[in-house]
Amino acid sequence: MVTRPTGLRALLLYLALGLVLVFFLGPILWFLALALRPPETAFLNPPQFTFTPTLDAFRYTFVEPGANAKQLLNSIVVAGGATLLNVPFALPAAYSLSRYRMRGKRQIMLWYIGLLMAPPVVFLIPYFIFMSRLRLNGTYVSMIVMMQTITIPFSIWLLKGFFDEVPFELEEAAQVDGARWWQALTGITLPLALPGIIVTSMFAFVFSWNNAVFPLVLSNQRTATLPIGTLSFFATTGATWNYIAATAIVAMVPPMLIFLLLGRYIVRGLTFGAVKG
Amino acid sequence: MSVQPPPATGETRGRALPYLLIAPSIVALLALIIYPLLFSLVNSFKLWNLQTSPAPLMWVGLQNYRTVFTTTPFNEALRNTLLLSVIGTAVEFCFGMAIALLLNSHLRGMSVARALLIMPTTIAPIVVGFLFRYMYYEGSGLIPWLLTSLHIPVPPQGLLGSPTTALAAIGLADVWQWTPFFAIVLYAGLLSVPDDVVEAARVDGAAGWQLFSRITFPLLWRTAVVVIMLRFMQLFNMFDLVLVLTRGGPGTSSRTLSYNLYLEGLNNYNIGVAAAMTWIIVILVTVIVNLYIIAAFRNWEW
Amino acid sequence: MTAPRRTLDRRDLLKAAGGAAGVLAARSAGTAAAQDATPAAAPSTGKSIRVLVVGDPFQFSLEKIKDDFTAKTGIAVEMENLAYDALNARLATSFISGTPDADVVNVDQMWSGQYSDNGWIVPLDDFIKRDKDVDIKDFIPEVLYSLNTWRGHVVTLPIAAYGQGVVYRKDIFEANKIDPVPTDPASTKGWTWDKYKEVVSGLQGKQVDGKTLFGTVVCGAQPVPIVHMYTQLSASFGTRWFKQFPNAPWDFTPTINSEENVKALGFYKDLYDLSPPESINYVWFDAGTRFSQGDIGLFYWWTPYFYLVKNDGYMTGKPSVVQDKLGYGVLPKLSDDAPQTTSLGGWSLGIPSSSANHEEAWQFIKWATGVEAQKKMALLPDYNYQFSDFARASLYSDPEIAKIYPYLDMQLKIMQQGNGKIVRPPAPGYTTLEGVYGLQLNQALSGALSPADALKTTESLWQNILAGLLLVPYSGQSYDDTLENTKALIEQLAGS
Repeated sequence: MVTRPTGLRALLLYLALGLVLVFFLGPILWFLALALRPPETAFLNPPQFTFTPTLDAFRYTFVEPGANAKQLLNSIVVAGGATLLNVPFALPAAYSLSRYRMRGKRQIMLWYIGLLMAPPVVFLIPYFIFMSRLRLNGTYVSMIVMMQTITIPFSIWLLKGFFDEVPFELEEAAQVDGARWWQALTGITLPLALPGIIVTSMFAFVFSWNNAVFPLVLSNQRTATLPIGTLSFFATTGATWNYIAATAIVAMVPPMLIFLLLGRYIVRGLTFGAVKG
Repeated sequence: MSVQPPPATGETRGRALPYLLIAPSIVALLALIIYPLLFSLVNSFKLWNLQTSPAPLMWVGLQNYRTVFTTTPFNEALRNTLLLSVIGTAVEFCFGMAIALLLNSHLRGMSVARALLIMPTTIAPIVVGFLFRYMYYEGSGLIPWLLTSLHIPVPPQGLLGSPTTALAAIGLADVWQWTPFFAIVLYAGLLSVPDDVVEAARVDGAAGWQLFSRITFPLLWRTAVVVIMLRFMQLFNMFDLVLVLTRGGPGTSSRTLSYNLYLEGLNNYNIGVAAAMTWIIVILVTVIVNLYIIAAFRNWEW
Repeated sequence: MTAPRRTLDRRDLLKAAGGAAGVLAARSAGTAAAQDATPAAAPSTGKSIRVLVVGDPFQFSLEKIKDDFTAKTGIAVEMENLAYDALNARLATSFISGTPDADVVNVDQMWSGQYSDNGWIVPLDDFIKRDKDVDIKDFIPEVLYSLNTWRGHVVTLPIAAYGQGVVYRKDIFEANKIDPVPTDPASTKGWTWDKYKEVVSGLQGKQVDGKTLFGTVVCGAQPVPIVHMYTQLSASFGTRWFKQFPNAPWDFTPTINSEENVKALGFYKDLYDLSPPESINYVWFDAGTRFSQGDIGLFYWWTPYFYLVKNDGYMTGKPSVVQDKLGYGVLPKLSDDAPQTTSLGGWSLGIPSSSANHEEAWQFIKWATGVEAQKKMALLPDYNYQFSDFARASLYSDPEIAKIYPYLDMQLKIMQQGNGKIVRPPAPGYTTLEGVYGLQLNQALSGALSPADALKTTESLWQNILAGLLLVPYSGQSYDDTLENTKALIEQLAGS
């Protein structure tokens, strides 16, 4: 039986919860306010909590002249491309690791997670030169390929867990009924694991979407993603803070929505499937 | 339905199949990481600075490795990185644990709070950097204003500008972003602690702190160990926040290993020295990850 | 002995790079000849060039008038602007890969030696000789010397040239009975750095318009901004980076830990103590923006800040509170009889050898650095008028321009005593040296190191770096890089 706290104890707990929410959500709202407030009120001391909201910053960044609209599209292409490309590599591997006994399984799984913990900057300089030589610098392809160092191992870990939950007996039964292994796979296991595949893809999308390290050196003005957009505002024209905030807010929205949607899978996704939620 | 005999080739395919399915991912990943690693290994022994020549000039033995320690602030960067990783992980874990327990208190509305709480973790680290840079702004930022209102002294150079606070300021931004991650994961761990075990302990007279430290926490440890490792390594690789918040300054007070490598490679174009630094970091990370994996995944079954 | 072999390696490499550049130049000459046959000015040739520039003030005006070029030549222009370090990264990438990333690129004077030695950009000598209308003699020789020449070739042309000077609050000076800052470098009697500091400390803490005044503001952010500002002071104090450069024979043995430099750094630290404490993190425009806020007495900085401080923020176009209270002057000297060395900087345009459109790129450079375009950039009212960074002497005496920018007479004289090759010597490996130097300067400012220790560390790190890059001892080819040689080159290219 669940016993709800009551009286003073409940009050104190609510107070604590309120403080926690203010601490973690307040800054996001403050940044949203920066995107909405007239620029001259951004740096007043003491800070100004009330103001007449305006959409000027969003208009400037995404409509007219809208330099960041293209970056939004680029972000979608890069994150979407990285997600799609990782499926044919991750799906069979995760299936295999989930279904079969094999030598070195432990080493392989640990190798994947080891890769996830490698410092991305280490890859950066060689790839910077490598992509330069292949003349792929500034292309979507270069970024999408680089993202695979993150998305493939991540997806394998997460997907393996989802496959583990589809009972092998179902497949075996189908095979006994005359289906080939791949018929059993496509007819039974994949449909049952589909929610898991979608969840995995959404996480892979978010990780690629939020990645700023690879586009930092591999993109150019035509292929820059949103995080790079915020960075270039900062670097070139001094701090045009309301534009930075507007661009950043737009960059925040898709991951937030996806996380709200993913609800109970968040724990799994964020721990690469190593912890089941 | 009739039972078909297995196909003639089934046995051999059956044996090779698992490996065939894994092969593409391994080949792809090896191709992606071997190039950088070999490239760095070879060039770590060569004199190659793009400012003086477009291609490597000559073999220089271990000179680049010496240069890493003698002309770049490698030791400071290592110190900052370790400080950030150890303290950052510890603070996030403790703070996250406390919030997880709060979430587990069965208050009404807790599920909404939980869903909203994860928001900081969803944001791109580079954006978190901007968010905090704005809040730290000298003079008019929200954080210095709050501190001043509470009569807590703020360094005159600003929180990001003072050598004593710059690293901590980066740490706070990371704590803000990733404490909810710990909270949510540990909360999930709490939910999976079987009720009957807790009840049994209660019947035996355990309560409060005792109950937590003797029963709940040990059961939670397996989850905790995994997330602690993940966060430790992410902090160890800290780059985005440094780039936006301090660029490693003032002086070297917030320079991390990753940022040091970035500067040497993509600012100074000292490819040889950057390559040597890469290998030093790769070896460091490999050692840490392996030690940790041995500890964390010791009892795992796959 | 390995030394002779090293020499060989490096020479061969330079030769090879030179050869490659030669081939490319020949190829481009071919294209040029082919195009000369057809009338060049026919609009809508369908040609389009890509221009990569840094996000500095000139870029905003250039962007506004680039259609003029298209209307004139039929060549469309796609312009991309980047931050300083991003630009360097992009250029290096494109050069290593030989990818034609752009047809015209912005080149910092520090990079021109590297780019030119590596064969990444093509020399402009032949173009200049061919097209007399470029009027090379109109460029201030000191600017071409500092920004655009390398080993006896013109490798780029300046689109924006900066010197350094003093900006001060006329109203505050008058109220406190302080003599105005001299405006003629030839008569600066009494205007010494000691006097400068005396004025700064005199103003420190004064109340003006309800604000507490800081005497001055400095740039402290590492590595580039602090090096840009500090090297001016340091050069005035007589510091030289190397034993012998740019005069032949080159000897890159560092001399940065000199008595003069220790004194200069101590002086800079004193100035910082009379600045807002947060200025230790200030980059270029932060210092300027701070002055516009109205709580700074005087400061010295790049000449574009003469007009940038008219705005309340960096290029906001909104007038600052100090707009009508600005006084301008020349830099102080170490003593009345000491020589002055003014820092010259700015941005130039060059043609990457990988570009397939050398002729079109040259047309663009000729146009953008020409009198007509530069004047139009200066007269654009956007952002509260912001472009007076001329490399062409004739524009300084244009009455229309002088009406908007009242300090041009003085600015020209500042430019004419400039020497960028001494203040920040564009030695090979400059970026690495600058990184180390900037860090140590910042450490000295923050008090983490004493000036003497910071410079001692700098010198020993430089020694390591330069030895590692095989520059000490230097066995490569030297070039006697003097103003006289540049003037001779200009004469030769002008064909008179």
